[in-house]
Amino acid sequence: MIKKESIHQYEIWTENLTKVYGKGEEALKAVSNINLRIKPGIHGFLGPNGAGKTTTLHMLIGAISITEGKAKIRDETAGTVAAKQLIGFIPQDPVFYDDMTGEEYLIYLGQLGGLQRINAKRKAQELLDSFNLFEARNRNIETYSGGEKQKIAIAAALIHEPKVLILDEPTANLDPIGRADVIRKIKELSENMSVFVSSHILSEIEQMCEDVVMINHGEIVIFDSISNIKKKFIRNLHVLDTNMNDKFFEVLKIQSYISKVRINELDGKIHIIPKDLKKLRETLPHLLIKHNTILLSFHQQERSLQDIFMETMLKKESMNK
Amino acid sequence: MKKLSVNIIKNIKTKSIAFKEKRFLPVNAWLSENIFKKTDIVIKKTYRDISSLKKGLIVIPIMLVVPLLFLLIPPAIDFGLVSPHHAATVNSFSLVFPVFFWTLGIVFTIIIGTSGAPLIAEEIKTGTMLILISKPITRTRIFLGKYLAVFLLGMVLSFIAIFSLGWITVLINSGNIDHFISLIPFLTALYLYSLFILFLFTSITMALSSILKKSKTVSVVIILIIIVSFVAFQFIRGLVGDFYESFQLYHFDLGYHLGNVFIFFMETFNVAPPSISWQNLFALLTGVYKFTNTIDPDQRIDLGGLEKTNYYLPIFSLLIWIIIAVLLLVFGIYKLKKREISI
Repeated sequence: MIKKESIHQYEIWTENLTKVYGKGEEALKAVSNINLRIKPGIHGFLGPNGAGKTTTLHMLIGAISITEGKAKIRDETAGTVAAKQLIGFIPQDPVFYDDMTGEEYLIYLGQLGGLQRINAKRKAQELLDSFNLFEARNRNIETYSGGEKQKIAIAAALIHEPKVLILDEPTANLDPIGRADVIRKIKELSENMSVFVSSHILSEIEQMCEDVVMINHGEIVIFDSISNIKKKFIRNLHVLDTNMNDKFFEVLKIQSYISKVRINELDGKIHIIPKDLKKLRETLPHLLIKHNTILLSFHQQERSLQDIFMETMLKKESMNK
Repeated sequence: MKKLSVNIIKNIKTKSIAFKEKRFLPVNAWLSENIFKKTDIVIKKTYRDISSLKKGLIVIPIMLVVPLLFLLIPPAIDFGLVSPHHAATVNSFSLVFPVFFWTLGIVFTIIIGTSGAPLIAEEIKTGTMLILISKPITRTRIFLGKYLAVFLLGMVLSFIAIFSLGWITVLINSGNIDHFISLIPFLTALYLYSLFILFLFTSITMALSSILKKSKTVSVVIILIIIVSFVAFQFIRGLVGDFYESFQLYHFDLGYHLGNVFIFFMETFNVAPPSISWQNLFALLTGVYKFTNTIDPDQRIDLGGLEKTNYYLPIFSLLIWIIIAVLLLVFGIYKLKKREISI
């Protein structure tokens, strides 16, 4: 029995969500026991290609059946008309009726979303205007550029005023300018609705999202806020840069409170793993003065989401083997 | 308590506003909201996709060409002298076979098949269906919208084809408006038969489009069904008639059943009196009649047409295929509801 109160706070909620394709020996588990608890805000859904992201999203919109488990959008069972009224979805490679103009397309989907024609037209024009497509509204979509098509796909997802926007790799086929444009738009949208965006481009997720869900081989491997993840995966590695790194490296080598020290071949900086960080911080200024060395920078190495993602995936791979 | 009463008042206000808004909805918006529930939107869009003036200008002449060739065979009467009823009978004798075989047979079924084939299979394949089903509309309504659009197209095409054929026939023969009026029962019977064909083949097409991945495969299967129905069984009946009867192949012979239903409409409207002039062709093509000589050898008078094979009562053929069409419609909806839509 699901406690309604506990689900109520979530925009997307899944319990042991599982998808198996095929039967018997040929059965393929694409998604396994995924438990999502997506609260209002903007959330990333990360994973390499083939991890099960699209399959999960397709179960949430009701495009494919759920083999086991449950999924809800707010309080509504995923796949029902009531749940679909709450979501706007943008597929990985949006396809359009090319013989329709941008405006006709939005009006059509708006009407399917429950708007009367006159309201659908008004809403379509508002969206076309906000996406800088108003001038192109009477052109067939087949004449639109890749960026314009992506914008019309987002507008189409928004036409019936959903509460939760689900995007499947929205920047996958765009050039850098198009990507930046779409990311900016998604961030804008997240001010008024919840966004759940899948991607395998981690830097984009890092720019956009507060929380991330990482999946691999159909299973969740990390589910936390980006800041928490970074804290958890923080390493005791410090990077020092001076005006004479080679000479100062020799000085540090003999300090007892330093566990490991080396000069990084890539950037020429000194990488230090201290035994006693406090002592390192206390003595470093004295050492620098004593050896007439100018400090250029000293910081604990930050880890990008990319590094954490790669490490986690590799760890998982080796565990599976 | 106070909070509760405020809520109740709020609720009543909201409901009364909604009621007022609903009361003043235009009729089409009311129908769309309460009866069709978005199906009409899919119908409009699909109808626009599958119909065009260009398509009509190509398809209608093709539907009419064979019956018009039959009209070129001059009948042994002077249309200027005969009664409108007599003229209508002579015209229906000329048209009854080519309309069954060509206009409402091969051409019409191919048009239905090729128009309906891509509507689900192709939309799933290209990915537009994924966006469609992510919207708050049930798959049943998507299916019905597309189904009814094909049905509507067929209704319009067969109406134009049948009634313009009637006009052209009268114009060629006499140009007398009374002759056209007398032909209306025959044209109506043809139109009702076309609705039956439309129902059956739309159901077959849309069911196939729901289960097959490629629209080309759907079209090929439809064309195979048409060839088997209108051509293949003809040869089986002609070459191995005993085998056909002893193994009761007529149960599965769609051509026979279509012929039987067609004759049912002709008989019900009493528009094509029995005569070997057209029944011979039905005997050959559909097996509805037996090849028996009903011409008086002495006086060379048609004694009232051919004897029926009566494998099925015509009304049973009609009911059986209507039931099959309904089952296919339900099957199509069921398959689309169960289908995994992913690209």
